Amino acid sequence: MTVKPVHILFLLAIGAPLLALIPTDQDPEQTDWAKAVKKACTSRRYGLRLAAAKKVAAAGDASVGAIRAWAKEHGRNALPDSLVSAIAQQTTTGDAVVELLLEWAGDRDFFWRPKAVQGLANRATAMPERRKQLLELFEAYRDDPAWLVCVYARLGLHLLDSGNRAAGEQDDPRIGSKLTALLLDHGKAPPLQPLLDALADERTFQADPWGQRRASEAHKALRTALGEQHPMADGKASDDKIEAITAVRDAIHTRWNQELSVPELQTDPDIGATGGIAVQSCRDGDLFVQWSDDGRIYEGLDSRFVAQLPAPVWAALAKERATLALDGSYGVLICDNMRLRWHQPETHSRIAPDSMPASTAEWLGKLAIALQDADRPQLSAAMRAALDQFGSR
Amino acid sequence: MVLLRLTSILLLTAFAATEPIKTSFTELAGFDYTEGMKLPDEVTRLDEETVIIQGFMRREFPGVGPVNQFLLINDACGCNGTPMMHEIVFCMLPENVTMDIKPGVIKVTGKLYVGEEKEDGVVIMLYQMDADSVE
Repeated sequence: MTVKPVHILFLLAIGAPLLALIPTDQDPEQTDWAKAVKKACTSRRYGLRLAAAKKVAAAGDASVGAIRAWAKEHGRNALPDSLVSAIAQQTTTGDAVVELLLEWAGDRDFFWRPKAVQGLANRATAMPERRKQLLELFEAYRDDPAWLVCVYARLGLHLLDSGNRAAGEQDDPRIGSKLTALLLDHGKAPPLQPLLDALADERTFQADPWGQRRASEAHKALRTALGEQHPMADGKASDDKIEAITAVRDAIHTRWNQELSVPELQTDPDIGATGGIAVQSCRDGDLFVQWSDDGRIYEGLDSRFVAQLPAPVWAALAKERATLALDGSYGVLICDNMRLRWHQPETHSRIAPDSMPASTAEWLGKLAIALQDADRPQLSAAMRAALDQFGSR
Repeated sequence: MVLLRLTSILLLTAFAATEPIKTSFTELAGFDYTEGMKLPDEVTRLDEETVIIQGFMRREFPGVGPVNQFLLINDACGCNGTPMMHEIVFCMLPENVTMDIKPGVIKVTGKLYVGEEKEDGVVIMLYQMDADSVE
């Protein structure tokens, strides 16, 4: 059989458009990725940064070189969270993207390390050839000091159906509900009691309604997963919170046949807190400390009593604290931050890494020593770690 | 007496008309947003209403110094997910008014505008507010 030129032309004519349908990380439009990355990092409008970030992330391997070049020139922490988040939420599994995520995940000083772990967890089932490597990483990070790293590492373990990934009693209370919400988003139906409990959470920390955020997250996940079966879908929502939660509990039973109990509302314990410190750190983990006027110290978002400082020690600390004249903020806040709030005098301040006034650092150092003397070495060490991150260089 | 009652009713009506509607990010962000979608009724009912909402102040772009506009978001830390369009209220202070970014939770009162605002074909805002007071 002889092949005539017209046959070749015919095959090319019908075949060429089909080539465009083959998914690749190539860039047929020859996009200027350096320009796109710059837009994702520097546009003054948040929405434009977000849109550019999505475009860069969707390109997969094609844009990685430009991302690396930007990070090399401006520093890794100059990459905005929106770009790293967009990459995390994409499904591209090219080697360049995955290697980038692995590097970021292993960099404890990278602001958006949790999102890098999230990106790897989201892609875990699509990369069987990397299963062993990912399992090792997720196991190493399942109890990371940063609670969000824990969440995404455990999500990865869940999705790969391996290892011990459940949230325990001693875990940060945010871990269980977020992990459950993420699993629901991934089409799983884990035991949903953590989400029902979160709906009843009204706890705060120094006026920060963190319980309400848990509730919002749980509500959103359940509403999306239940769809038309959610009580709000047909206007059956109740103004009474417990009634509303009961309706959600019943909808869960109908959909997934899970027998759940309606939780009691979780409100703040009456500890008489008059001040506190909240550290949000993706490097060393969060730290929450509160105190009362008489020197009782509480730790954690859920305000666990840890120590009663001796009266003379506390009196000296309180006297020195009253002299710390703090402004509203110090340094350029990007992500990790320390919030200080107390009465007498009214003080509320947020501090970026390497930006704490020396007098405040000195005072916190004395508080850390007092906690060490009160036989609370772990809490004392956590405070010193915070001082190391937020104290002036 | 009738006049007094009438005055009281008018005053109460006027008070009720200016009382801000309390809303929250649970309401504004309690759905999966995609560009061009029909927004839920519980959100669109707030369009051009005076509302009060609490959240955290954040600059639209990292920096220092007072601001005339800011983002109101639900979480102080960006690690817990980049805020999506429906998780941000773009607040604009009155002309020539600036303020420092406050730490912790704040309450903002003002007229809310609900709907996609585009620039270069890209949605850059979903919720805008003319912020009258920040506490």
